[in-house]
Amino acid sequence: MTENRIPLGPFHPLLEEAEYFELQVEGETVVDLDMEIGWMHRGHEYISEQKNFTQSIYLVERICGICSTSHPIACVRAIEDVDNVEIPKRAKYIRSLVGELERIHSHLLWLGLAGHFIGYDTVWMWAWKYREAVLEMMEIISGNRNHYGMMRVGGVGQDIKPGDIPELLDRLDMIDKKMEMIAKVANDDPVLKARLKGVGVLSHQEAIDYCAVGPTSRASGVPWDVRRDDPHDAYGMLDFDVITRPNGDVYDKLVVRVLEIIESSKICRQCLDQLAQVQGPILNDVKEISPGEGIGRYEAPRGEVFHYIRSDGSNRPVRHKVRAPSYVNIPTYEASCKGISVSDALITLASVDPCYCCTERSLKVHSDQDEKPDLLALSKQKTERIRREYNAN
Amino acid sequence: MGWYNKRLAKSLWVFHVSASPCNNCDIEILDLLTPRYDLERLGIKLVGSVRHADVMLVSGIVNKKIEPRIKRLYSQAPKPIFVVAIGSCMSSQGVFKESYNRCKEVKEVIPVDMWVPGCPPKPEAMIEGVAKLIGVLNE
Amino acid sequence: MSKVDQFRDKFKNKISQEIEKKGRYYFNVENRDLRQIARYLFDEMGCRLSTATGMEREQHLEILYHFSYDETGQYFCPRVIIKDKENPEVNSIVPIVMGAKWIERELFDFWGIKFKDHPDMRRLLALNHPAKLDKPMRYEKEDV
Repeated sequence: MTENRIPLGPFHPLLEEAEYFELQVEGETVVDLDMEIGWMHRGHEYISEQKNFTQSIYLVERICGICSTSHPIACVRAIEDVDNVEIPKRAKYIRSLVGELERIHSHLLWLGLAGHFIGYDTVWMWAWKYREAVLEMMEIISGNRNHYGMMRVGGVGQDIKPGDIPELLDRLDMIDKKMEMIAKVANDDPVLKARLKGVGVLSHQEAIDYCAVGPTSRASGVPWDVRRDDPHDAYGMLDFDVITRPNGDVYDKLVVRVLEIIESSKICRQCLDQLAQVQGPILNDVKEISPGEGIGRYEAPRGEVFHYIRSDGSNRPVRHKVRAPSYVNIPTYEASCKGISVSDALITLASVDPCYCCTERSLKVHSDQDEKPDLLALSKQKTERIRREYNAN
Repeated sequence: MGWYNKRLAKSLWVFHVSASPCNNCDIEILDLLTPRYDLERLGIKLVGSVRHADVMLVSGIVNKKIEPRIKRLYSQAPKPIFVVAIGSCMSSQGVFKESYNRCKEVKEVIPVDMWVPGCPPKPEAMIEGVAKLIGVLNE
Repeated sequence: MSKVDQFRDKFKNKISQEIEKKGRYYFNVENRDLRQIARYLFDEMGCRLSTATGMEREQHLEILYHFSYDETGQYFCPRVIIKDKENPEVNSIVPIVMGAKWIERELFDFWGIKFKDHPDMRRLLALNHPAKLDKPMRYEKEDV
């Protein structure tokens, strides 16, 4: 039996980022898959030890551009978990609103790219056209289309003005109408069904064994969702469903994402209604973080984002660990890529919605520059001196 | 080469290279081709291989592992090729200045013709950059 | 009786130095008991492995596993302390939890910790790296 290997990457017309796959094929069927990653490695965990807690929120935003609110929310939840800090009610609704708007934008982005990968460019253009309305809403709320910079330890940084709420509701109405049309397309279109049904199946037991999260596991019948299991922010006070499907192929993953957009839009409406009534502060000023450990997590569009912070009482973290959802979802390729044909390989690899820049966020490295440890020591001494003077007054 | 550049400026073919970005600049580049900021009306098309391209759009901090690959891509591209560096990460390394895994200076890896700063640069800023490039080529 | 109390009763002579907070439970285990505790948490209780964090302190290395019990959102975090900094070695939990493959490869890549019985022990992010990064996470830290 001859063994042929097909290399894909690191630069390929249909791959957004640089990653390398090697498919072992017999004839037209894929038998095995090997991956090499590491081209997006930037060193977040190392840099984060040299910044204080507020600066690491801005650093953590730039791990990924698509899920750019998920990482800051998980990071501030981890810092707040060290001391069990409570945040004001209005801040909870604003956090959930921004998070759900980001989920709508990310799922529409995936829908467009999936259409582009199977050669159905109409779906790409239409999905991204309606995504522009969501980016306009984010610009009204925070001032930027993508990296918002809204999260702080103890609340949020910016408030929503009452005059903006009717404009946001208008755009939500438009998105709801268009999503009804897209949901009908997902149900009836023969091209999507013929191309995607039965392709790249991940079974129920495999999803549990590989500890997959997010829509990848919900499309295989495993109903894990951080919003319902570990409710935080406003999710304990809102009404929503968790969508699951039984089959685990690419078509089910598409249906799960389309229905999740409709659920997110319901959650956004509830948040906007509450924001018109609940008034109050948006930030609980936190002066110090005591020594200890904290874990924070959030349901990003791709799954569960996990942050762990260990602090020693100063204003910098001793250890900051980040685990993005794609880190546990990408190894499931070994199970879902066996037995498919080569032409279906790319859509199966894309169905998990991988975000390689999230996966490879950081490394630490032995620094051989001599002045760095001294600078760190000097700045810690300065903080101690300021603290002594502040406490003496 | 004046007449050649004028013909080139009528329809530029673009190839997008991601050299360790955070993906934000990449989706803003793809946003330029969608119906709101439609760049295809100016004749600009996204191609799949660097051997067909007239302009290389590069984004991200150039990580040590990908540095030799970027040099190889630049040598595979047919000359003349214009390199446009998108984002603050290319101009000044952005928040990743203290990372050990980045190259020293982007200019040492490949020669860059135009920088578009921003994190991410707004689509309007990128269109202005493209318009300036077409203006320069038309002279 | 809460799940944390049931767990504590069953393994009371194998765990030490417990820290219990709202929804989070951290405790220390020995290397030889790690597989038994992981099997109980993953197979019998139905927890899911989120990730494992590695850390270097002055006298030892430590690995902190994070198991999430999704019915109530409770986290169980066993911690393994490794005293031998020159040749650190831990029992691998890949025979029990298949999702730990990449997690343990990353710990090997950055801290040099070897895992016994891991099916594919090679580097993950620094594979074929041109600058030959070797155990990047290990460095002399000043006293904090």
